[in-house]
Amino acid sequence: MKSGIKIIHWIIFLWLCIIILRFDLIVDYLSLIFNYFGLLTSDYSAAIAFLNFGFVDASLSVILFILIIPLIIFFRKRLQFLTTRLNFSFTFLILLGFVFLFAPIISNENPEFSKNISVTKLLPPFSSVKQLELNTGEAQNLSEVEAFRNELERIIKPSFSNNIILADSVIIADQVIYYQKNDRFEIAKKLLLSESGIPIIKNKFFLLGTDEFGRDLLARLIYGTRISITVGIGAVILSFIIGILLGFVAGYRGGILDISLNRFTEMFLAFPVIYLIVLILALFGSSIFSVIIVLGISGWMSLFKIVKSEVLSIKQKDYFATAELVGLNKFQLLKKEIFPVIITPVLVNLIFLFSNVILAEAALSYLGLGTGNSYPSWGSMISSGQEYITKAWWLIAFPGLALILTLFTFNSSGRLLGKAINPRIKQ
Amino acid sequence: MNKVLKSEIIRTLFIRFLSSLLTLFLLVSFLFFIIRLAPGDPTDKYVSAKLGSELSERIAEKFSLNQPVADQYFAFVSNIFKGDLGVSYNYRLPVFNVIWEYFSFTLIFASISFILQLSLSIWCAVWVVRKQNKWVEKFTSNFSLFVYSIPAFVLGVTLIYVFSVYLDLFPISGLTSLDHDGLSFFPRIFDLMHHLILPLITLSAGGVALFYKYAKESLDEIKNQTFVVNLRASGLDENIILKKHILPNAIRPLISVAGVELGIILGGTLITEVIFSLPGMGRLAIDSILSRDYPLVIGCVFTAGAVMILANFLADLVKLKIDKRMIKGILN
Repeated sequence: MKSGIKIIHWIIFLWLCIIILRFDLIVDYLSLIFNYFGLLTSDYSAAIAFLNFGFVDASLSVILFILIIPLIIFFRKRLQFLTTRLNFSFTFLILLGFVFLFAPIISNENPEFSKNISVTKLLPPFSSVKQLELNTGEAQNLSEVEAFRNELERIIKPSFSNNIILADSVIIADQVIYYQKNDRFEIAKKLLLSESGIPIIKNKFFLLGTDEFGRDLLARLIYGTRISITVGIGAVILSFIIGILLGFVAGYRGGILDISLNRFTEMFLAFPVIYLIVLILALFGSSIFSVIIVLGISGWMSLFKIVKSEVLSIKQKDYFATAELVGLNKFQLLKKEIFPVIITPVLVNLIFLFSNVILAEAALSYLGLGTGNSYPSWGSMISSGQEYITKAWWLIAFPGLALILTLFTFNSSGRLLGKAINPRIKQ
Repeated sequence: MNKVLKSEIIRTLFIRFLSSLLTLFLLVSFLFFIIRLAPGDPTDKYVSAKLGSELSERIAEKFSLNQPVADQYFAFVSNIFKGDLGVSYNYRLPVFNVIWEYFSFTLIFASISFILQLSLSIWCAVWVVRKQNKWVEKFTSNFSLFVYSIPAFVLGVTLIYVFSVYLDLFPISGLTSLDHDGLSFFPRIFDLMHHLILPLITLSAGGVALFYKYAKESLDEIKNQTFVVNLRASGLDENIILKKHILPNAIRPLISVAGVELGIILGGTLITEVIFSLPGMGRLAIDSILSRDYPLVIGCVFTAGAVMILANFLADLVKLKIDKRMIKGILN
């Protein structure tokens, strides 16, 4: 065993950090899940109606978050690579993985939340505003369903709320006086949520500043990570399936299929594919699924070439002929004889493909043809930040940095793996 | 023997040429059908409350949009063979003329960038190999990977922020200043270069890093081969070995990369032109896609494809010129 910081230490460190910083949030989520199961037994149809994406997402995140350490301990024999030494790529990869899986825990903000734009618009990093909360008049005896709804709305933040007032400065006198830019407002004390007569004034802190609609940049960055990685994984899986299957068929069978597929890959490899992708997305409309499908379909050609040439060489080997004679069917041949041989070159290719897909998704979002406006994305954040370039550098700097680091990590780990496989290239 | 080789080369090139044409034809048909399958109708914008659908029907008739798709397709293909790409809906001009106007810019822009990429990257690689310093090598290798990882639009926007907004050295966008037409020749060229420096950096950075990687790897591989060791042992000057023996051998694999890189540049110009709002084909393509100008879209993609296929063909020719043994690899 070599000494030094290992991957597992970094994972545990991140995990502990999140637990310390977000302890009350995790407890809230857990109680929410517990109450939900209570509701499920008493009022089934109402409980089903509460199932929305945010809630399911948050619950799954929390459950996975709690289970991840026991799971790692349980599968420690399989996960030997966790004891390798930490380097820059691994550090960032694991950070990305955490953000991707546990976004609802890491960021307690709704990425689309915007209120009182005049106050929160284009705030620089490390700024904060005052937050007042209106007293909604807690009714004493709520039904179980209504109580659950209140709790849900308190914990999982909606994208708009009438009960929150954001202000630049607050003065408590007989009335509560607050300023939004140069406008002065007054509000009675009893309308606000208060504790022993004094209204609660929270400090809303924006670590990375806000965008032109007063939305928290950090939350948008975190949820944008999910978009990028989801698109990346989806498109890579699609390319992988198409590439492996077609490569296997073309290499194993040969004939007319091989020739026509070859022409087809030539056509796509020789073409500035972005023109085609932009064309198809513009014509058929862009959503996260169409982006995944188009990027997946446009990425399998290099994989096809690798798999085909490998299959052609494996076909000549004795062990493959033996396996055929034993009577394995096509799928078993692919799985047992070919897959273990091609897995390393394919893996290198997939890593590069992944970074290409992330880049393409960001570029498409930048051109306005990305995953739509329902979710933030790094590319669209940069694109909208370009309009405010003279006033707000942080709108471009942080998503740009996230993008560069992600691409750099994937490219460098792909290159390292490639070097390990191909020793002809000296370090 | 020589004759046999020659006829073999001619035959191969002929087949290669035919397959290029076939690829182009496939591409155009693919484009035609995908555009017709897509939702949305270019005559929709001529429907108005005043005229009803009358104007849109007349437009549809004028541009033969009301005929069966098969008829449209055959008319389209026969027109392409006549060299006629149709008339743009928006510009009311033949597509060829519109594209030529924009494409000439893209061609010049991309060529300058291509030359810049090749020369700069090879120069860097040679410099690093000559230095023979482990730390310099490590740093440049990581730095090139880092530069390669910067997306064009992030780099472009950052450059605009630093050099145009913050330092106010270069213009933010466009190709010419307002008083461009009043200038004499040399100030005009200077004005153009002044506008083009940031876009050129944006377009070239990734390519320089990519070429650098290939050039460096290939130089390293050649450097350790026995014939170089022999030359060194016979007391030849290190500079002459590098210039006359290592470099020509090392550049060879770069040619096929260069063919692929042209495609990347052409895709890259699309983004760069949008960032700096330059009058090139990429921006024309995006604009025409968004306004559903079918003939212009087909024209743009057709031009891009044709340029790529031509470039790959040329790359193959250069490959053959350098090494006749490469003939085997061309057809596959």
